[in-house]
Amino acid sequence: MGARRPTPYGEAVAERLATDLAHAGVIVVSGLAVGVDAAAHEGALLGEGCTIAVLGTGVDIVYPATNTGLAARIVAGGGALVSQFPDGAGPKRDHFPRRNWTMAALADVVVVVEAAEGSGALITAEAALAQSKTVMAVPGSVFSPLSVGCHQLLRDGAGLVQNARDVLAELKGLTAVLDDPMAPPDRLAVDVAAPTGRDGLLRHLSDTYPVEPGDLARRLGLAFPDVIARLTRLELEGRARRMGSGYLRGRGRGMS
Amino acid sequence: MVARVLSSLVRGLEGRVVEVQVDISGGVIGFALVGLASGSVREAKERVRSAIRNSGLPFPSQRKLTVNLAPAELRKEGSGLDLAIGVAISLAALGLPSPSGIAFLGELALDGAVRHVDGILVAARWLVRHGIAALFVPEADAAEAALAGGLLVYPCPSLSSAIAHLTGDTRLEPYSGRAPVPTHVEARPEHDLAEVQGQDSARRALEVAASGGHNLLMTGPPGAGKTMLARCLPGLLPPLELQEALELAQIRSVLGDLAAGRPLEWVRAFRAPHPSVSLAGLIGGGSGLATPGEISRAHHGVLFLDELAEFRASTLQALRQPMEQGQIVLTRRSGSVVYPSRFQLIAATNPCPCGWDGDSERRCRCTPGAIEAYQRSLSGPLLDRIDLQVIVARTPMDVLGREALGESSSTVRARVVAARQLQIDRQGTLNAALRAPQLRRWAALDGTALSALRRWASQRGLSARGFHRAWRVARTLADLEGEGAVREHHVMEALGYRLVERAA
Repeated sequence: MGARRPTPYGEAVAERLATDLAHAGVIVVSGLAVGVDAAAHEGALLGEGCTIAVLGTGVDIVYPATNTGLAARIVAGGGALVSQFPDGAGPKRDHFPRRNWTMAALADVVVVVEAAEGSGALITAEAALAQSKTVMAVPGSVFSPLSVGCHQLLRDGAGLVQNARDVLAELKGLTAVLDDPMAPPDRLAVDVAAPTGRDGLLRHLSDTYPVEPGDLARRLGLAFPDVIARLTRLELEGRARRMGSGYLRGRGRGMS
Repeated sequence: MVARVLSSLVRGLEGRVVEVQVDISGGVIGFALVGLASGSVREAKERVRSAIRNSGLPFPSQRKLTVNLAPAELRKEGSGLDLAIGVAISLAALGLPSPSGIAFLGELALDGAVRHVDGILVAARWLVRHGIAALFVPEADAAEAALAGGLLVYPCPSLSSAIAHLTGDTRLEPYSGRAPVPTHVEARPEHDLAEVQGQDSARRALEVAASGGHNLLMTGPPGAGKTMLARCLPGLLPPLELQEALELAQIRSVLGDLAAGRPLEWVRAFRAPHPSVSLAGLIGGGSGLATPGEISRAHHGVLFLDELAEFRASTLQALRQPMEQGQIVLTRRSGSVVYPSRFQLIAATNPCPCGWDGDSERRCRCTPGAIEAYQRSLSGPLLDRIDLQVIVARTPMDVLGREALGESSSTVRARVVAARQLQIDRQGTLNAALRAPQLRRWAALDGTALSALRRWASQRGLSARGFHRAWRVARTLADLEGEGAVREHHVMEALGYRLVERAA
């Protein structure tokens, strides 16, 4: 979630994050508002993922109307428009805080992209905290008023989001590593929908540090040749790749 | 009267029967040696003259003495004919009949003692094939000559003892050492796999290489233990068979490299030439008739090329033919010789010029261009003949000394021997020698295995050679499991032992 009138930076971050996360199998939930919300939905669709729009109106009404086309594409892409309000209910002022509570409830992690001081997005973040959800925030420029809210959240202990990997680490309960925020999304091929893939070995591979097959064999009590065969199979499926003498998660070459 | 005495020369791993003919006649006093004798043979005149006199035998110094080495068109080199010439002159001078079915090999010292010459085993085997029943050799070479089998070997200490034997005055005792039996000699403990910590990939690759006779390339930074791993290979291999030991002994005989009294070695050779090795040193050569090089010394054993990228490209190129044919043909002005060279190649290389590319602790200082050029220098025809490629990482310091010792070489060797036996029983050769038609016959892939290999090949753009390499290794992996059929998991494991394709 984030500002309805974001900076180009905020819009780009929202879209890119959503694309990478959707690509990795994460379902992106947002509010179908203009600005960051719309960018998040668009990004998720770009990532060929599934996205859910939580409306402050009945599901038969799209508000603002400029997002009508987007709403149709969300549904066509296998996503959903959901609402806690009856059909025909229009956009009322008091709907939106309630809608925001629902959005937070549907999510595992709430990411705030750009939010001014005292903005609706901050209120939603508080709602998420009240529901014991994890709140994360994207830092911005110190010259930008739209970043103040995010920086407040970060100061107060929100998770830092540099890229989709940080969010994925949070989703999987792992410790995120500061790394190249511009790394291409194909380094993110982590299947969150099926965290272990077809082979439990995948769970023991990291995105960043190659694991030696011999160590894997000892840790899992498997025969070394068996581990090599399974890793090669994962490589063939594009779920693992070689790095020096070890293996990483990720897309192998030739799998594009 | 003309005395005729037989001897033999060595050309490569073949002999040439030489008849020494001596004629003593009236005429101008002199000593003529004819029959295309090279410098070293012409010197025999002086040695033989002194040896005969110092042995108390008559030397026909007041007559015309002609020594002919037949066949005359064969170029004669070396000192191995000395004894035969000395015996022939003595017999002629004494008016004694020439012996039949007996040959003489050895160099004469000035006092008449018989000294060692190289190539005794090769000459002895050749003489047996040409119907010689008894052979006089230097005492030190008797055990070597006896390996030829099928002839009486007389250890001959001196020229006078040979003459005494022929006149019947004092008979020499034929050599009576026992026939050699292959025995396994345990490798030195520092070359035992039990001493290798970590390095699971390399250990496995060594076992697979030993089982199928595959060539192996290890890539890794300095200090990763590549040399030590390579030195473990001979200890994983079964001892030489008698026939193999004899072939190797002949090569070493030509080089004068056999230990007196214990000419047969059962441990497989391990040869590790330095990257600066000359072409002649590696594949054989030298002036005159070519002598065997490192590849023949490694016959039925291991040739280890450390720092592969440091070898000259032309040197590596010269390995192709012997690797394909299991022998090397060396042609010189004085003739061609053929030496066997059925070795197993273990190569090691750094990943980049500085050696640290991909290391977890040290930083590589090479430019991408330098790394690419380095790796390109390794590619090509030699790499095509290497079925197994593994990356050897340095074992982290905290693992050293902590980790339990790995399996010992003897444990692994038991599996290797069993797997090799399966291959020999099935196809008469090790898997590394299988080409496409034999692979189809002896290593049929089941449906899933074939589709997995095809899928990999199309995904990675695997060449036909690469395809067959993985197939051969998969066959060996199945043999290690005692499996008749090559299955999908064998193919998958085989594909794990290859270098990472560099990003284009």
